[in-house]
Formats: sequence, C-alpha cells, structure tokens
Amino acid sequence: MGRYAIQRLLGVIPLLFVVSILVFMFIHLIPGDPARLVAGKDATLEEINGIREQLGLNLPLWQQYVNYMGDLLKGDLGVSVTSGLPVTDMLASRFLPTIILTFTSLGWALVIGLVIGIISAVNRGKWPDYIGMLTAISGISLPGFWLGLVLIQIFSVELGWFPTGGVDSWQSYILPSFTLGAGIMSMLARYSRTSMLETMREDYVRTGRAKGLREFVVVGRHALRNSLIQVVTVAGLQFGFLLGGSVMVETVFSIPGMGRLLIDSIGFRDYTVIQALLLLFAAEFILINLIVDLLYGVLNPKIRYASK
Amino acid sequence: MSDNSTVTVHSSVPEDTLAKSPATGKFRAFMSKFMKQKLAVISSGFILLLLVLAVIGPHIVPYPPNEPNYDAMMQGPSAAHWAGTDEYGRDILSRLIDGTRLTMVVSLSAVFISAFLGTILGLISGYYGGWIDRLIMRGSDVMFSFPDLLLAIGIVAILGPGLSNVVIAVAVFGTPSFARIIRSVTLSSKESLYVEAARSMGAKHNRIIWKHIFPETIPSIIVNVSMRIGGAILAASSLSFLGLGAKATEPDWGAMLSMGRDYLSIAPHIVYYPGLLIFLTVLAFNLIGDGLNDALDPKTKN
Amino acid sequence: MRFKGRTWSLLMLLLAFTIVAAGCGNSGGGKGASEGGGESKPVTKNNKDIVIAINANFITLDPHNAGDTHSISGARTMYEGLMGFNDKMELVPVLAEDYTISDDGLTYTFNLRKNVKFHDGTEFNAEAVKINMERIMNEENNLRMRKSFATVADVQAPDEHTVVFTLSQPYNAFLNKAAMALMISPKALKESADITKDPVGTGAYKFKEWVQGDRLVVVKNEEYWQEGLPKVDSITFKPVPENGSRIAMLKTGEADFIYPMPTEQVSDVEGDSNIVIDKIDSTIVRYVTLNTMKKPYDDLKVRQAINYAIDKDAYIKVVKSGLGSKLTSSMSSMTQYYSEQSGYDYDVEKAKSLLAEAGYPDGFEAELWGENDSESIKGMQFFAQQLALVGIKVDVKSMEGATLSDQINSATPENAKIQMWYVSWSPSSGDADGATKGLFSSEFFPPAGANTAYYKNDNVDQWIKDANASVKAEDANEIYANIQKQIWEDAPWAFLGVDQVITGKRAYLEGVKALPDGSISVIDAEVK
Repeated sequence: MGRYAIQRLLGVIPLLFVVSILVFMFIHLIPGDPARLVAGKDATLEEINGIREQLGLNLPLWQQYVNYMGDLLKGDLGVSVTSGLPVTDMLASRFLPTIILTFTSLGWALVIGLVIGIISAVNRGKWPDYIGMLTAISGISLPGFWLGLVLIQIFSVELGWFPTGGVDSWQSYILPSFTLGAGIMSMLARYSRTSMLETMREDYVRTGRAKGLREFVVVGRHALRNSLIQVVTVAGLQFGFLLGGSVMVETVFSIPGMGRLLIDSIGFRDYTVIQALLLLFAAEFILINLIVDLLYGVLNPKIRYASK
Repeated sequence: MSDNSTVTVHSSVPEDTLAKSPATGKFRAFMSKFMKQKLAVISSGFILLLLVLAVIGPHIVPYPPNEPNYDAMMQGPSAAHWAGTDEYGRDILSRLIDGTRLTMVVSLSAVFISAFLGTILGLISGYYGGWIDRLIMRGSDVMFSFPDLLLAIGIVAILGPGLSNVVIAVAVFGTPSFARIIRSVTLSSKESLYVEAARSMGAKHNRIIWKHIFPETIPSIIVNVSMRIGGAILAASSLSFLGLGAKATEPDWGAMLSMGRDYLSIAPHIVYYPGLLIFLTVLAFNLIGDGLNDALDPKTKN
Repeated sequence: MRFKGRTWSLLMLLLAFTIVAAGCGNSGGGKGASEGGGESKPVTKNNKDIVIAINANFITLDPHNAGDTHSISGARTMYEGLMGFNDKMELVPVLAEDYTISDDGLTYTFNLRKNVKFHDGTEFNAEAVKINMERIMNEENNLRMRKSFATVADVQAPDEHTVVFTLSQPYNAFLNKAAMALMISPKALKESADITKDPVGTGAYKFKEWVQGDRLVVVKNEEYWQEGLPKVDSITFKPVPENGSRIAMLKTGEADFIYPMPTEQVSDVEGDSNIVIDKIDSTIVRYVTLNTMKKPYDDLKVRQAINYAIDKDAYIKVVKSGLGSKLTSSMSSMTQYYSEQSGYDYDVEKAKSLLAEAGYPDGFEAELWGENDSESIKGMQFFAQQLALVGIKVDVKSMEGATLSDQINSATPENAKIQMWYVSWSPSSGDADGATKGLFSSEFFPPAGANTAYYKNDNVDQWIKDANASVKAEDANEIYANIQKQIWEDAPWAFLGVDQVITGKRAYLEGVKALPDGSISVIDAEVK
C-alpha cells in the first residue's frame, strides 16, 4: 500500500504540470491588462508601460511561462501584481480560513447527510423518508448567496446568535459552513440512502436478517459499513465544488479566504496570484482524492492495490 | 456554484444497475413505478405548468414586464400587483411569468448541451479505452479540480457578456460529470453478452456504440438531465450574483434575485417571489430526478 | 398507507413553502418602510477600539503608490503631508506651518512644523521632505504619485525647517498634489525591506498589523503632535464587499462605522436611535460618455436630445433612492472651481424634435457599456428606460471591469467600438485639473487617458493648459468657468447626477466621517 501511495503521488506531478500550462493559457486568454488595472483610471501611458515592464508582461507569452515555472520550481510563487506582496505571504494568511470553512462544511454535511440517508433508507416510502429527502433536496435548491443573506438576516440581525461573518471566533464559521455545506449535505443524504438501499438487498444482509439478527445490528454492522465506504469516496469528490462555492460564501460572510482572494485577483487580472491559487486548488483536489482512495482500502480490506 | 459533481456521483450507484436492464419497451412498467413516486408526480405537474407558462407567458402577463412606473416603485403585493412591484415600479408577477421562458431556455439548453457533449465523450472514452480514455478522464479530472465558478467567469470574460455565453459557461462545467457517468455505463455494457456477440459478428464500432451501447445509457442520461437542470438554474443565478449573468434588463429569475438583494430589508417581496420560484423549480426538478432514478432502477421493488 | 404517503408529500411541500416564506418574512420582519424601521439592539461601547467596515480591500499601504480611495484613507491614518484636506476638502497646512508662493507661481516655500516626530522616534524635518520627494520623483520607482510632480524641477532644504519647491512651469493644482504626498520616515525607508508592510509616518495612529484582504489595525500614537488627539485606542478596518452583510454588521454592532452605506437601505435604519446616518455631497459624478467621433453621436443635436430625454430627478429618485443631486456641470459642486450650468431640463418633446432635426425621427439603436456592479447595472437600466421613451433602443451591456477596460483601451479613436459608457469619476485630490484634463483634453483619448467621449475642442484644450499655468486663483476660476460652459454646450456627456457620500455609524461614535471624495477621516474619532 505504501508503494501504491508513492506511485500515485508521483503521478500527481505530470498532472499538475499540465494544469499549470492550462491555467497559464486560460488566464492569459481572458481579456484585461493587469498593468492598466493596477495603474488606475487616470494613469498615463508611460506609467502603464513602466508597470508592464516591471511585471515582465512585455515579454512573449512562452517566456513569461518559462520564467514563471523557473521561479516556481525554486519555490518562488512571485509577487502579487496588485498589492506588491509576495504571493506566498498572501496565500499563507488566506489558506486557513478556507480550509476550516471547507472542512467544517464537509464535516457536518457528512454527519447530517448520513443520518438523513440512513433514516430515509430504513423507513423507505414512509413519512421519515419523505421528510428526510425533502430536507435534503431543499438544501441544493437555493442559491448559496441568497441562503447566506437570509441566514444573516435571521440569525445575526434578528436573533443576534451568531456574528455576521469574519473569522474572529469559531461561532463566525457556523453560518457560512451551514450555507456552504447545505448542497453537499443533500447530495450525501441522497447518495447514502441509495447506497444503503442497495446494500440492504445484498445477500449477506438478507442472510443476517434471516438469521434473526436485530434490524439495528443488520443496519449498523453490515449495511452502514458498506455504504460508508461509498459515501466517503463521494465526499472527496466534492472538494472542487466546495472550493468553488467558497468564493460566494466568503463574499457574503466577509471571510478573508482563498475564494475571495480568487475573485479579487480575477478582478485585477493578478496573474501570479490566480496561477498560484489554481495550482493549489488542483493539488489539494488531487491529494484529497488520493487520500480518499487510500481510505477506501482501509475501510474495505477486500480491495487490494495492484502495483504494476 | 452548482452541484457539479453531485449528480455524477449520486447516480453512479444506479448507473451500473441501469445498464443491466434493457432500456426499451418497458415504458408501461416505468410509468407505473414513476406514478408511485408522489413527490415526483406533483413536481412533474408543476414543471409542466411552468413549461406552459413559458410558451403562453408573454400573452397572459397583466402588465408589460419591462415597462417602468416610477410612481409605483417597491409596492408590496396588492390587488393590482399580486406580487408587488420592483425598484423601477415594474410588475413582479409579469416579470416572473415572462422570465419563465428565459430561465427555462437557459437551463434546458445548457444541460442539453452538456448532456450531448458528455455522452459523446463518455461513449468514446468508455468504448475505446486506452490513451483516448485516459486523455478524456484526465481532462475531466482537471476540470473537476478547477472551481467551476472560475471557469464560468473566465468563459464569460473571454466570450463577452450575454445570455448565450452564460449557456455555454454553464454547459461547459456540466460536461465532465456527464462524461464520467456515461463512461461507466459504457464500460459495463461493453462487456455484456450481446455486445460481445455483435462484435464477434464483425459489426462496426460505430454501429455497436450507437445501436447497442447508447440505448443502455439513455436512462442515466434522463435521470441526470433532470437533476442537472436545477443545478443549471442555480449556476445561472450565481453568475448573476457576480454580475456575469443574464442581462439585467431581462426578467431572468436569477437576475431578479441578485439585483433585488439590496432591497432585502426594505422591500423583501422583491426577492421573495423570485427566490421562492427558483427554490420550487429547482426542488421540483430534483424530485423528478429522484423519482426517475427510483423508477428506472430495476432492483426497486415496491 | 397509500393515503398517508400522499398526505405527507403534500404536507411537506407546504412545509417547504412556509420555511422559505418564514425566512423571507423574517428578514423583513416588521421593518417595512411604512413602519418606520425597527430598533436594533442597543450596544454600548466599553472600550475605545473602533471597527470600520468598508466595501473593498486596501490595495497598498505605500502612500506614494496608492491610487484607490480606500488605500489613501488607510495611509492617511498613519501618514501626513505638508498639506491636507479639511472636512470640506479645502486645503489646509498640516506638516507645514505655512507657505508662500512666488509671484511667478514657480517657487513654493514651506515652513515646516517643529517638534514633529515619526513613529520610529526620528525627527520630521526638511531633509525628510527632500528624501520623500526624491523617492516619488525617481523614475525607477515608477510610483503613481510621480506624475503629479512632473512639473517639479528642484527640491531644496535651505535649513532644517524650510523646504523650497521650484517648478519648471506654473501648476495651479500643485498644493492639492502636495497634500497627496504623504511623508514616510527616511529611516524606515532606508532600513525596511518593504515599506508597505511596515508603515512609519507622523500620523495620529501607528501601524499595528495588515492582513491583506482581512484587516488593517492601527493604534493610538501617544506622542502625536496635536494635543489631545487621538481619542481612541485603536481602529480596525475590515473589507466587507457585500452590501447586505455590511449593513448587518452595523445593526449588530460588529461594526461601529460603515462606508458606503447602501442607499437602498438608508430608509430602513433611519428610525433606529442607535444608528446615525450621515450624508454629504460628494465629488463623485455620474454620467454617460457619448462617443463624439461616432455616428450618430457626432451630431450635437443628438447629444443634446439625449440630455433632454433624461429625467434627472427621476434618476436620483430611482437609482439613488433619492439621495443625491443633479449634475449641473462637468464636475461636482464640491470640486474646486465649479461653475453651475443650467439647461437640459427634462423635456421629451424637445428631445424628440432635436432627434428629428438630426435626421432620426424614429430614434436609433444604441449600445450602452458599463461595469457589472449592481449600482451601475441599475443606472444603466434607468438610462435605457428613459431613452426608450424618445425612440432610442438601448442595448445594455454590463461587463466585468477588467474586460471593459480592455475593450475601451485597445482601440484607436477611429475604430473605437464604444458608443455610450455609464461611468463615474472623482478627482482624488479634489482639484479641478483632476476633474477636467484626463476627461476632456484631446491628448487623453484612450488608451492615453479617460476621454472616452473622444471630445476635442481646441478652445478647451488651450484653456486647460492656461488654467494649469495660471498663478492666481481668480484667473483659474474664470478659465474653468469657460471650460465648463463650453463642455456643457457641447454635451459630450449625458449629465446625470452627483452622489452623496453616505455613512452609517453607531450613535456613540463621533468624529469619524467621510470626505466628499469618499475617503474616511478618523483623526477626530471619539467614543461617547
């Protein structure tokens, strides 16, 4: 398994390389001139050209890429076009809020999603199933920004229970993680319901039942374990979605995370920051899914990793 | 922004089971199963109503949807304006009715485009395997790791503003999940006996794909289309939130919701009705999707 | 069982309805405009730490490279210049005690304030001014402030408390520009690797920390040269981009002061005794540029017709929620050398007949560009609605800022695609030059400047030069009056409105205010 993990890790490198090229081309395709945007509305041409030269934007595109990759391999992510701060510094302060946000969202979505899924599956076709599924589906039926704004109105302004946003205390993460997790929760609930239903039809579960094991044991020991494996796999895939959703949630709840940074940087065509963020996102996504794959093996010992 | 991979994964359970049942000729059985899904049936009724509205909407609106009346701004619901008026004094009900068509066209066409592209890619990827499979799947990995919102911003920025580009943006980030689903259905049906048989009789690849494998994927496609429509509506409204959506002059629901959010505390009805309509519509599409999923799953026994 | 299932599904659908309804209902709960606004929970302030929520990030804290209003506000908490602005944007000496200007307008002599210390303990003196000016004017540094001092030929420090600026040609807005040049400690400039991360000035507040995108914290400067100031211990600036969230923070007391206060929600909090709304006229003007080199806008009658077709009062009412004033010149009444113009009163018939005279009795199809923030989108929609009444069909195209800027600046004047642009402008130093030259001088066609009307009038071009070269204020005043009159007649813009700068604050807070250019002044902040 160790060897498999290393192999997979090494496989990440070419993928990241491809991502870096794609990202680079993609963001340079988007119209907009960072030099002009940084210089401001009343800038002179001379000023703009000066900035362009400073940033190396007057070089041919391939050379900009080579320079960028050269620095990157040395561990230098460059300097932000807008703020003049090193990108590494900016990422360092933005990294944690987004990570906390995504993990808390995923965490509660997983727990609630599983609970709803199990209750629904066990009571298939009865009222708990209906309530469960309706709650779940409601979660992905609201635009995130709107849910966020309404939650702030109710729980911060009217009731005063939670802060409106920011990252000053753990309470400030409650509303945003709820907003961001709602979609995942509903998806996990539906998924775990289906997969529970599937496993409950499997022979060994039926056998268990026939042997007179109590429903509780059947569900808990066999069906749940099996669906858990699949649900975890699914949860890993949601990271791209969470990172995308964090853009909106971070805006509504004024969280200084990577999502906001991404939006701000796109606004200024801050190439170095966008590149760094996207590479980080891709690496994170790939890594999480690698971990999930490995976890899969732990949860289900029947799977053996073939190492070629 | 949307439940990008939501649907992929959700239906990856039934997808291999679906593949085992012949997809054709079971319409009656399907209908009887589907009709037992109460929520899905109600939802279908609701969507049908919306589709009717989308067609006849412009003829039945009580007021011209784009005509401002600066003397009747932000009025709450009344006998004259059932859903009140917006920040320009336009009748919200009329705008909602008129906007049904727009919202439906955007979400439906976006999903159909991604279903179309995703199906072709998935079939190719699953059937041929090898390097082309790896290429397509790695490609979709890359797309998944990209926050879809950024992709949308980029696409709208490159192509310029406008409704058709919103459709393209929403369609592009829906494509990979379709490709994945169809690929896995293809993989399992490729191994089935009659495909083997067809191949041994020397049938051409093209024919095998379209005559034998494609029909197997139809149930998955239907389920996912219905589930993704909701996601597409939400995605389009998120784009509006970022100022990249439909033209603000057009009565798109998402645009109404996002433009109206500044009035949330002084004239909540401006966001209340578009929000409710979006919520119900997305909910309905998702419920239909769930119903279809259950009805098309051969293992389901009621 | 069967029956039960159906009942439940119906019930559930109903429940979903009510949840959403409750959510919406609550959010407006009892706060309808008609009910006069709800009362937010009274929050008393036990400490002297102020939180200010603003709508965007600080971009840089380098005072010589700051261009956006917020960065300038942030820099001014810690830095001061020889000159500064009072609440009405009038020039006042700050680090200079007084100044003299030679008769030819070429020599400015500043007598510096004594016993002023930078935060690092070093003395503020003439040498410090000289070092700062050298930094600004050094071409290699490529700082934004450099162009403001293009006319400065020489800076001398004859003694420790005197600085003499010699200009190569007279420049009327020189003192305004001098007010923008904030003084950094020479010691810090020499020793610090990056002055943006560790600002050292003479201001009322000292730098504590800046987490880009999250917060800027400044603390009381105990040794500040003005007696009795500052009166609070610390100030934290937080960027909160979403309007609804910003106002929520004010209501809950998480923020003591917010800017901008969204115009739409002013009426919501006006009845609340814990919240005070301040409104002042700003230097921010809103207008639509008309490409005077392009058909049909090259016809003066068409441009005038557009101006007649816009109901400016309705514009203020609909787009600004009644909080603003009509634009009555090419600049705001709060800008230096403003001269009021009259005409273009709302008159649909006149607009139609002018269009007919110009050969467009049935109007024409037009394209309106603008940014994609909700403020602009709202204004553009209104503009389109008004022109529709005289037969001009406007296609509203809102674009993301960077894309729009690219569209505008990547064209030559002849092939420019731009027709109409809904935009706002505010001269950062409140001077008439900043509100005129870049917008109306023919040297400043994009991409060289912001003259997107491609307006060219030889008289105006010459007058702009004359005004800058004039030494006396009354001369400049007269020339700018001519300029404004000419521009008004030529109508290269559809003149719309002047924003109000609207701020919201908790009732216990005093002394924090926004200036007409939208910058925030905190020097007098006090908790009562």
